[in-house]
Amino acid sequence: MTFQIILLAALVLASAAAILAKDLLKSAVALAVASLFLGIIFFRMGAPYAGVFEISVVAGLITVLFMLTIALTKQGGDVRESKTVKVVFPLFFAVFLLIDFFVMRGILAQVPALEGAAEAGTFGDVLWKERSFDLIGQLAVILAGVFAVLALFRKRNHHDH
Amino acid sequence: MIFIYIGLPLAVAAVLPLAGKASRRVLPDILSNAVLAGLLAYAVTGAKTLLVHGPIVQQVRWFGEAVNIRIALDGFSLFMLMAIQLVSLCVGLYSINYMEHYGAKANYYALLLVMVAGMNGLVLSQDLFSVYLFLEVAAVASYALVAYGLEAEELEASFKYLMLSVVASAAVLLAVTVLYGMTGALGFDAVAEGLRQLEAKAVVGVAAALFLMGFGLKAALIPFHAWLPDAHPSAPAPISAILSGLLIKVSGVYAITRIFFHVIGLTPALSQVLMWLAAVSVVVAAFLALGQKDMKRMLAYSSISQVGYVVLGLGLGTPLGVAGGLFHLFNHAIAKSLLFFTSGSVQQATGTRNLDEMGGLAKRMPWTAGTNLVGSLSIAGVPPLGGFWSKLVIIMALVQAREWSLAVIAVLASVLTLWYYLILQRKAFFGKLAERWAQVKEAPFWMTAATVILALLVIGVGLWFAAAFSSWVQPAADALAKGF
Amino acid sequence: MIINEWVVYLLFAAVLFFLGLYCLLTMRNLIKLFIGIEVIGKGVSLVLLSTGWARQSIFLAQSLVVTYIVIEVSLVATALAVIINLYRVNQTLDIRSLTRLKG
Repeated sequence: MTFQIILLAALVLASAAAILAKDLLKSAVALAVASLFLGIIFFRMGAPYAGVFEISVVAGLITVLFMLTIALTKQGGDVRESKTVKVVFPLFFAVFLLIDFFVMRGILAQVPALEGAAEAGTFGDVLWKERSFDLIGQLAVILAGVFAVLALFRKRNHHDH
Repeated sequence: MIFIYIGLPLAVAAVLPLAGKASRRVLPDILSNAVLAGLLAYAVTGAKTLLVHGPIVQQVRWFGEAVNIRIALDGFSLFMLMAIQLVSLCVGLYSINYMEHYGAKANYYALLLVMVAGMNGLVLSQDLFSVYLFLEVAAVASYALVAYGLEAEELEASFKYLMLSVVASAAVLLAVTVLYGMTGALGFDAVAEGLRQLEAKAVVGVAAALFLMGFGLKAALIPFHAWLPDAHPSAPAPISAILSGLLIKVSGVYAITRIFFHVIGLTPALSQVLMWLAAVSVVVAAFLALGQKDMKRMLAYSSISQVGYVVLGLGLGTPLGVAGGLFHLFNHAIAKSLLFFTSGSVQQATGTRNLDEMGGLAKRMPWTAGTNLVGSLSIAGVPPLGGFWSKLVIIMALVQAREWSLAVIAVLASVLTLWYYLILQRKAFFGKLAERWAQVKEAPFWMTAATVILALLVIGVGLWFAAAFSSWVQPAADALAKGF
Repeated sequence: MIINEWVVYLLFAAVLFFLGLYCLLTMRNLIKLFIGIEVIGKGVSLVLLSTGWARQSIFLAQSLVVTYIVIEVSLVATALAVIINLYRVNQTLDIRSLTRLKG
């Protein structure tokens, strides 16, 4: 468990770095590192498929998309972020951590839950047989994304309303 | 074969780009509209008879093996399906002319069909996670459709809409996770059963609050409405119509109603919260609509206000209130789509959405003006059009439940609604015809046809409201009251 | 004990939510704002998976997380497409340049 906590802390630090970094490219890399840690956390929880997906898709594909976008939008110069927010951040962060720690433990311990049945079959069974409707949904959302990108980058001859 | 509602639009959407390459204009239009027309016909005729024997649960089989796709159809989901196909078909017809100048029409129709498939899937789902999944399908398609014109205003609107909507979706998924964590199940029945066994009011309250935040934003209930007055006016007119007419109702109102009625259970506390939130929406949005110069922005605020009426009726929870809310949902869907169509026709003819610049357009665009009048009067609640009856039922239900203050609010807001719609009519269509509009032409054929179809429906539902009510709305209300 | 571990996961997920929301509320760069959304997304998938894990149904939890990640990819692709187009039109990624819509 302690190793998980170390990994979780690393995840949080990497995410904080992604948000606070001034250079967008460093932000994207920090986000990828965070995904890497999350993937390892998943793996150690006994969820190898989720871990693999997290690392290859989020740390891989999404990071590539971000870097592509950053490259395509570099010319405009950097956007000045407000300095005060970065200075104030540690304060808010510390306050939040305190609230989080004390409140969550009390609340969450009291969440009632039903006993569940043991899981049968393999991951493949669950994904393909039990959650097959989700696969249709996944197909639909992929189509939506593909058509969205095609539509938003289409060639325009002379656009007029 | 109700799986066809999801499968067919997706399959056609997937092949549309190829069809678009083969024939730039005709084939995508014909294909998409044929799909929508076919689904509508099925909803009106076939599915109705299937329902005679009670709710249908379909177990889909792939290659002989029973696959776990369980979709169910009851009165409520059939009602929504019918509304979705109807408005989507009119949107498809309208788009034949309107989207001519935007380019890549096949792509547009593909996105539209994916959005319809997402909405159909949401309505047919029996499972909390599937609701979330199809919610996102429709949402992703809608982000692209709002930004479709690629002008600065549209992109800005799409970005703001996207940001808020993603946070809302995250809230919904968190709520689903809370319920799953407690009951270990995701299906509506299983979760409802599990919640009955547990006694966990506080945690269910947290889940309900998260659902309210998430779906409330999708339905544009105040205080989660900020994205709608930007997104709906900037989108192309047929997309404004489908967003205001369908998406906010399917991904907002339907989802929250289904979950609050069938899974969590509508407690008195929840009912009060819903009703008062709705009342705030009704009043505040009506006031905000009054001050608008932009025609579509006024319509957008009106949508927020009218959705408030719907949630007011549904939140009341009594059979009459639920029936009134559902009836108003349908009336608003057809009337608001109609109004956005006519605003699109006006925008295309005159190049502006600013009411102060228009005037006297009725002389040059009689069809547009006439259908706009029908739609406006219906939403404003003027007899004998549909909106009058649905608002009357809601107010009667409020009185019956002794919610005097809410009933008074509903009536007064109705007056406000009539006021700003009369302003819209007067400024845009009546009055003196300004010089520069002397040459404008009536809208092209399909655009006018779509508006006329909807206008006839609005009139028809108003005149024969008893028949419409008993054959479509009542079964839906009963299904809600019963549960599966 | 499983419940205690689950609480730890949720604790950290809450921190991720805080970070993401902080980013959304304070940052001005469009891409940075979207990175905030991504961080929230990580929090959500952590909550989803750890809840399923605590219930001993790790397979179901994985299916849900996998589907969620697929949704996220489509979302990111669409959002970045909108952002790139916004940049083309406005020549900047500053959110303060998005002021056309008011009222």
